[in-house]
Amino acid sequence: MNIATVESWIEAPLKRYLDDVHAQLALLLHPSGQVLAQAGFTREVDVMSACALAAAVHATGGELGRQVEGSAFRGLHYAGPSKQLFLAPLTTSRGTFVCLTVFDDTSSLGLVRLYFDELARALASAAPPLPVRSTPGPFVDFEADLNRNLAALFGRDEVV
Amino acid sequence: MMPPLRPIVDGLTRQRGVRASLIVSEQDGLIIESSLRFGQDGDRVAALAASMYRKARLSAAAACLGAVAFLQLDAEQGRMCAVGGRSDFVIVVIADPGANVGLIRVELFKALEMLA
Repeated sequence: MNIATVESWIEAPLKRYLDDVHAQLALLLHPSGQVLAQAGFTREVDVMSACALAAAVHATGGELGRQVEGSAFRGLHYAGPSKQLFLAPLTTSRGTFVCLTVFDDTSSLGLVRLYFDELARALASAAPPLPVRSTPGPFVDFEADLNRNLAALFGRDEVV
Repeated sequence: MMPPLRPIVDGLTRQRGVRASLIVSEQDGLIIESSLRFGQDGDRVAALAASMYRKARLSAAAACLGAVAFLQLDAEQGRMCAVGGRSDFVIVVIADPGANVGLIRVELFKALEMLA
């Protein structure tokens, strides 16, 4: 499966995870909806819409969990007729990210949850410390960051 | 009506040499009921055992061998036995290397009958 990442430290753990779970599609994104890595997508517009939807579902599920249980739900699973998705957050020194995994019946929720925990540990140990910035921090200029990340993933020149 | 599952796994774990027994969903790889010794990671065993059973079932079907009756994995420090195929349930037993596999097999089929 073709994997594209904005930052190189994400690639190896994500590739191992996707191989282990036989995922069909995957996204790693910031909770704001900015993509950090994608696998299996061929069109930029699909990545953008999937990131926006995943971020919205994550935010909605988190708030629902806080209202129901007093804390955000850890993960969300949806089983369709032929494909399933698993959406869950993970935390690294670079902050909290959300991972969307789409899989079919060659895998299972149990396997995805099992290997997701390993992915979370691997990314937490691979993440370099957040650099100290004198300029405004990441994700301040949302649109510019979004365009830069999409340009990096799909190998095109950034639109200014 | 579904029988209570706890006595089934407890009965399997009481067999000599059995370290753990689990009833797992083959499709989801999640634990439905389990009887584990302290320190065993049931979620991990369930996910991987269900995946292994499913692949064995698909392999047998691809080779025109019919349904999988009994699956046994021998490892350096023990063995894993599994039966299933009558529903989404897979019953998994983890046993010591010296455990009586014949007896475990009989008990597994009895447990499967109770679930059917």
